[in-house]
Amino acid sequence: MTKTETKKTKSWIRWNAVVPFVIFLAILFVYFHFFFDHNLRKGLEWAGYKAMGAEVDIADLETSFWHANLHIHDIQMTNAEKPSENSLEIGDIRFGMLWDAFLRMKFVVNEATVDNIRFATTRKNPGRVAPPEPPKTGPSFMEKDSEELKQQALAEAQQKYADNFVGDLAAVLGGADSKAQLGKIEGTLASKEKADKIEADLKAKQDAWNQKLKSLPQSKDIQALGDRLGKVKYQDFKNPQELQASLQELNSIVQQGDAYSKQLNGVSQDFDKDLKGMDTEVKDLDAQIKADTKSLEARFHLPSINTKDLTRALFNKYLGKYMAKINRYRALAEKYLPPKLFKKDQPKVADESIQPHPREKGVTYEFTHPKSYPLLWVKKVRISSEAGSSPDAGNVRGEITNITSNQRLIGTPTIASVDADFPANNIHGASLKMTLDDTQAESLVTYKMAVASYPVSGNDLVNSPDVQIALKTATGKMDVSGELKALRDFKMNIDNEFNGAQFDIAAKDATVLGILKGAFAHLPAVNLKGTASGYLPSISFDVESNVGSELEKALHQQIDAKIAEARKQIENYVNGEVQKTRDQINKQTQQIRDQFNDQVKKLQDQLNGQKKQVEAKSDQAKKDAENQAKKSLGNGGQKAVDDLKKKFGL
Amino acid sequence: MSLLLKQFYSFFQLLNSETGINQLAAGLACGLLLGFAPALSLQTFLVIFLVFFFRIQMGAAILSAFFFKLVAFLFDPLADSLGRAVLESQALRPLFVSLYNMPLVPMTRFNNSIVMGSMVISLVLLVPAFFVFRILIEKYRATVLARFQQSKLWHAYKASAFYNWYSKYHQLYG
Repeated sequence: MTKTETKKTKSWIRWNAVVPFVIFLAILFVYFHFFFDHNLRKGLEWAGYKAMGAEVDIADLETSFWHANLHIHDIQMTNAEKPSENSLEIGDIRFGMLWDAFLRMKFVVNEATVDNIRFATTRKNPGRVAPPEPPKTGPSFMEKDSEELKQQALAEAQQKYADNFVGDLAAVLGGADSKAQLGKIEGTLASKEKADKIEADLKAKQDAWNQKLKSLPQSKDIQALGDRLGKVKYQDFKNPQELQASLQELNSIVQQGDAYSKQLNGVSQDFDKDLKGMDTEVKDLDAQIKADTKSLEARFHLPSINTKDLTRALFNKYLGKYMAKINRYRALAEKYLPPKLFKKDQPKVADESIQPHPREKGVTYEFTHPKSYPLLWVKKVRISSEAGSSPDAGNVRGEITNITSNQRLIGTPTIASVDADFPANNIHGASLKMTLDDTQAESLVTYKMAVASYPVSGNDLVNSPDVQIALKTATGKMDVSGELKALRDFKMNIDNEFNGAQFDIAAKDATVLGILKGAFAHLPAVNLKGTASGYLPSISFDVESNVGSELEKALHQQIDAKIAEARKQIENYVNGEVQKTRDQINKQTQQIRDQFNDQVKKLQDQLNGQKKQVEAKSDQAKKDAENQAKKSLGNGGQKAVDDLKKKFGL
Repeated sequence: MSLLLKQFYSFFQLLNSETGINQLAAGLACGLLLGFAPALSLQTFLVIFLVFFFRIQMGAAILSAFFFKLVAFLFDPLADSLGRAVLESQALRPLFVSLYNMPLVPMTRFNNSIVMGSMVISLVLLVPAFFVFRILIEKYRATVLARFQQSKLWHAYKASAFYNWYSKYHQLYG
């Protein structure tokens, strides 16, 4: 038989492939038996580090292919804010999957066990913390991060405001050196500027009035009229022509006097008008002084006290730590939850970028019937831990039922119920009840968390340069409840109570220290209630506390007095600055008024005197002319007298 | 890598020999199936198993799989539409419900529209492709290969010491 013939008779089955196949299976077995667990452990540690941003350590991990089970021993999650501690340590996690479901590409766990849970345990070595992500470049950074930066700046400003609020109160209470501060703003007051302007205007007016006074008939002019009057003959007229000449001269003197009088009246009216204008300016100055006083009050942050502001100011720092944690987990949720959950109702924007090829996705259908397994179903997770197994361990008992990818198929919601005590940490009566219901059209998460007693220590409430208030020790009690509808509509109520609260209070000023110590010493149990609500990721947060109202009551009286004092000080300052100028203006105005009135009155009197003399002389001249006529014509000459009268127009 | 190169070399050797037409055609047809199937799926493992244990030319299957992977990528939109139509068919619904809840079958990922569409396309093309490949191989041998073997270049190569040495080596060690 030739070689070619031998080749032709070769079987369709490659028997010589059996050995390589067996070798391949052996390699596979060796890998899964000796290396897979190690690689899976390292993979989980890496994934944990990437997800949490801090080192995650797993002491041991075991898998069994035949039993389809997994056992993870001692998981340590580093606290990113304090790398020397773990935020959470779990002693053991055990679960086994159903082969029956696994062959159908479903992951079903009858019971998982989580044992020995501990919080805030000390690490042997500080854990690695992921460095902050480098800032993104390009326009997307501007668009995406500007809002974040703005919110951050606002949050910081709000924090500063909170500290400043109490700082301002302290400054007012302690009567901080406002004189020095007031001195710095001298010359910037609008009322001062206005007063200076009025003063300058007044000087200009004074010059104008002096000019006008000079243009008025002077005393010598009136005297000249008197001299003219003295020369007028008013008796012993020799003839009628003489009498007529005298009367004409007297008439002329009267007319001149009237002209002088009119001139004086005109100037006097102008002067009154100017003075009225000046009075209006001075009234405006008074209004400006009031406005300046208010503006200075605002500038010196004279606070108006209300309960809400006080509560915010006092607890902003305390709640800030918890808000930071909430924000951290919110960011994680945003990062890992499907985008549509957070952007459900946002308008669709046309995406200009390259669309993913359909191969990436396609549509995956689920052909279920009532007895089908869902893709993922953990029927029960049993959580337990015993105090005393390690220094930080607590008594934890609880279970989570029906964690699944398809609640509608199994017809029941996911329910978590955990009760815990951590005697080593003095935490008692902690409980969590949580329901995640996706069996309805809109998913609903409801939660209720309570801690009957937990220690509170060393919490800074206020840390301003003037005042430091810290909650030294207290026993806290907390109730938290809320819901999340359609993974968007968020509501949360927090009710905190601090019993036996002891505060550390320090203040620069002894008066402030006394008032604050007095107020805090008489406080009953402190409560703190917070509400958070809104559509994720935008949540608004509000707090209220009896500390606010109690402190308000205690402080109101002293602070009102102090604020009034501060206001008075500012008013005095404003008045002191402007009043000098204002008084000067009044003085000058009065001086001018007096001077003008004196001069004009004197002239008026003089003029009136001369006028009377003229009238007297005129009457005398007429009488004398009449007597003379009677005497020369005798008793029969009545007709002649009458003629004479007619002639003289008497 | 050397194993892969050896398979490619065997493919060209067999292609230029006078035997193994069915092996080559079956290999290329299996490559078509592999190209249209997702890498991690039950059907891929089944085809690999067949190629490995049955006398199907492995090099041809690998080369063909690479080629049809690219073709399948271009066919994805069509496969998606076809897959949806099949999976949404009410008449087939009871069948799919049964298959979905059977052991192992869900590992084919048949419930994905692209996988189902690609599977339908590849199964429809499988038998015709086998015969087309056969015809193409025969034509290649009758025209291209025959002409090349009559060329002076080939005669010169055949007369060389290297060719004699290699022929001897191949006879002894395969």
